[in-house]
Amino acid sequence: MWAVYEYSFKFWQPNWPLEVIAGRNCIRLSPVTSALPRRFLLAGTASLLVPLAIAPLRSQTAEAGADHEITDWILIASSGDVTLGLSQPEVGQGSYTVLPQILADELDADWQRVKVRFVTGRETYKIAFKNEPPVQKEGASMSTTVLYSRLRTAGAAARGVLIRAAADHWKVTANQCRAEKGFVIGPNGQRLSYGALAADAAKLPLDPAPHLKDRAQFTLVGKPLPRLDSKAKSTGTAIFGIDVVVPDMLHAAIRSAPTFTGSLTAIRNEAEILGMAGVRAVVRLPAVHVANEEPGSQHPGLAQEARHNAVCVVADRFWQAKRAADALDLAFDPGAGGDLSTAGIDGLLHQALDVEKAVTAVETGRPREILAERAGSVIERRFVLPHIAHAPLEPVNATASYKDGTVEVWGPIQAVAACQDAIAASVGVKAEAIKINVTFLGGSFGRKIVPDYVVQAVLASKAVGRPVKLLRTRQQDLRHGIFRVNAGGRFRAVLDDQGYPLAVQARVVGQSLFGATRKSWLDQTPEGAWDESMVDGIYNQDYRLANFLVETIDTPLPVPVYFMRSVGSTAAVFFWESFISELAHRAGIDQYTYRRTLLAGNPLALRVLDAVAEAARWSTPPIPGTVRGIAYNCYIGRGGRFKTYVAQVVELVPAGDRLALKRVFCAVDPGLVVNPNTLAAQIEGGIGFALTTALHSRITFADGGAEQTNFLDYPLLSIDEMPEIVPIILPSDRPPQGFGEVVLAPVAPAIAQALLQSSGRRIDTMPLPAEAFRR
Amino acid sequence: MARFTLRLNGTTRSVDVDGDTPLLWVLRDDLGLTGTKFGCGAALCGACTVFVGDVPTRSCSLPVSAVGISEITTIEGVTGPEAAAVQHAWIAGDVPQCGYCQSGQIISAIALLKAIRRPSDRDIDLAMSGNLCRCATYVRIRAAIHDAARALGG
Repeated sequence: MWAVYEYSFKFWQPNWPLEVIAGRNCIRLSPVTSALPRRFLLAGTASLLVPLAIAPLRSQTAEAGADHEITDWILIASSGDVTLGLSQPEVGQGSYTVLPQILADELDADWQRVKVRFVTGRETYKIAFKNEPPVQKEGASMSTTVLYSRLRTAGAAARGVLIRAAADHWKVTANQCRAEKGFVIGPNGQRLSYGALAADAAKLPLDPAPHLKDRAQFTLVGKPLPRLDSKAKSTGTAIFGIDVVVPDMLHAAIRSAPTFTGSLTAIRNEAEILGMAGVRAVVRLPAVHVANEEPGSQHPGLAQEARHNAVCVVADRFWQAKRAADALDLAFDPGAGGDLSTAGIDGLLHQALDVEKAVTAVETGRPREILAERAGSVIERRFVLPHIAHAPLEPVNATASYKDGTVEVWGPIQAVAACQDAIAASVGVKAEAIKINVTFLGGSFGRKIVPDYVVQAVLASKAVGRPVKLLRTRQQDLRHGIFRVNAGGRFRAVLDDQGYPLAVQARVVGQSLFGATRKSWLDQTPEGAWDESMVDGIYNQDYRLANFLVETIDTPLPVPVYFMRSVGSTAAVFFWESFISELAHRAGIDQYTYRRTLLAGNPLALRVLDAVAEAARWSTPPIPGTVRGIAYNCYIGRGGRFKTYVAQVVELVPAGDRLALKRVFCAVDPGLVVNPNTLAAQIEGGIGFALTTALHSRITFADGGAEQTNFLDYPLLSIDEMPEIVPIILPSDRPPQGFGEVVLAPVAPAIAQALLQSSGRRIDTMPLPAEAFRR
Repeated sequence: MARFTLRLNGTTRSVDVDGDTPLLWVLRDDLGLTGTKFGCGAALCGACTVFVGDVPTRSCSLPVSAVGISEITTIEGVTGPEAAAVQHAWIAGDVPQCGYCQSGQIISAIALLKAIRRPSDRDIDLAMSGNLCRCATYVRIRAAIHDAARALGG
């Protein structure tokens, strides 16, 4: 249905003036009224439409006139205000601006009169990820790539019916008319506004394959338009999940089992806790965790077990709930994973790196034979990386209302469908009886796809019979996070007479993300299954290698894991590019030249590599003391959906007795750039995000659980560590490619290479050891 | 529970809360001022920064009973030339990504510009390094502070 909510300053005031200027983000519930979905029914794609009720977006603002649904994505009021549907949650990536920009361009809307509203409930809002049924979800850098043509078609089809409505009115033909900034202009210069035409246009059938603009005709796409959410986010008025207030709401704080496999055995002081100020209830929560999906279901799979592994305290105010949760005297059985430790996990990695047999992912040429024949000249490097956490600055939270078999949820939710499925499975309510209201997300990076925290809020609400906002403290968010997997790598090669790789063996081991969360995504071989995410950017790498072997070994662990921004590539590309750096270093060949040679015949790859080298003046020796590194990666979207080319040069300069990262040049070929402003922001922020991983992030385990509790022991990058960023965005004829994750992977290996070249230090882990930066 | 009277954003507000309640939760849960965010609860991230008097303060770690007669200013109540310049620069420069930390960033930036009219990069590092941004909008934060300083004639 058309979203039944908008981002709101005042969720609880249904009569709040509805001034939803895009970027101001007011919003509020509006009642669902029944109306037939129309659009595209006549166009022969009815099977794609689920007949759901439609909520007229401006039903309560009679002064503005009624809204007319032109397509699933576009409502136009008689006043001329245009409301554009946004199906992708805004987590910071800029979809709130960029996707409406695509729609508005083909629609020829007046951008100044555009408003944005989150929408859900229709098939056209869904995206298929890899082999799964389509779901409404933000993830895998897929939004712009997948929705680009869909939104253009919707915008152009809407423009078409508006023009036809005007032509009918003037009794002329449609091709005598044109559209411009919210008006249709007739053959004699007569003008009718979209507002005046909306009611008639809404009755006309849509062209399923409308004529789309040439690139030269774009008026908005390609322009660095300001973000529509900057004002709300600079004045404290943007509503995040944590800010949601609903009538009669209580607050909950949670305490979870210290071990991943733990079970609650006793609450020793329940009566005392219930007597604390403001406390309404103590609720035992079943273990809710990421699990393998059932065949054909939507991910992430979420399992609810008979054991209880958490307790939440529900109180009038959050502080009362938190204070009481801290005072809980809980007893847990540690379960089967009670002895989990980092030493044990790393031991598994090293064991897997050394065993004879692994699963072959890729084998070309005669790598095994050549490496065996030249065993004496094999170059080998080994790497080990820890688990890390998403740590969005907004801790996971959700507000839920369970009432008479229906559920309504408000919160920072990255995957609507996964959330509905998990709630349905947990409390036995049909998915249709679950209403999901998506707020702005205070960061996610993949974490808020997993709706464990939403299910916990629903269970708390069900237990107390009132709406509950359940908020994790930072300690609870971090220690009971859902982590990026660990990884180990062993890379072996022999070089030919020119110093280039003759044969390469790449082995990546560690906890398999797909093995832990979605076995249907594993690639099956006679030797066993392999997980492409473990070798993202290796198995599908671009360097010319005639004899190449890629292997993986899964070392299963009871650690809850999930996708994190850039997925496997932050580990795999660190290994891979570091190893290529090692080979060039051994061969005594310039790092840029070495890569250039290995990329011969790949013009798009060479283009970004050359562009970054030129911008960074690679061929000119840096001033003494400055050291540099260069790295390359082609980020391939899951299921091969896109290819974004990235090359970076990092510059480190002396700062006292250390080297400090001064500047990062980043050349990208992302296809068509819808909005260079938000794309540049993704380059800047993506590199900064990667620097947190490279310099700081490590989750360690002891006694069955994670040890880190806050930003003291899990630090994030701070402003004094942030380098200058020089974005180089290359023009392209290709359609938009994915971008949100693509710039992360080359950062760490480029730094490691700079340190290798300057000092000969070989870095085999992240976070990059502080001593490696000593001059 | 006890009654506390706060001088807040140019007005006076009374709340009945437990004295150990951090100011952050009084602002958010009792007074409906949700622009100030919770990030860590331990004065490590800066998302909860408000002015207590002229001092940017982590409200997650300040019990309401310790506020006394100090004037509290939150993101909803910032006024004056520095606030206007900073917020204008933030919007014009499209600083926010997810936006969650930005209220705290803005309070710290206003405080910096009140203290130093034309801050250097080093001044910015010192004043702002306690405000974490997971999206790493730091390039634009730095640029926006310089822009705001220029607009103020610093």
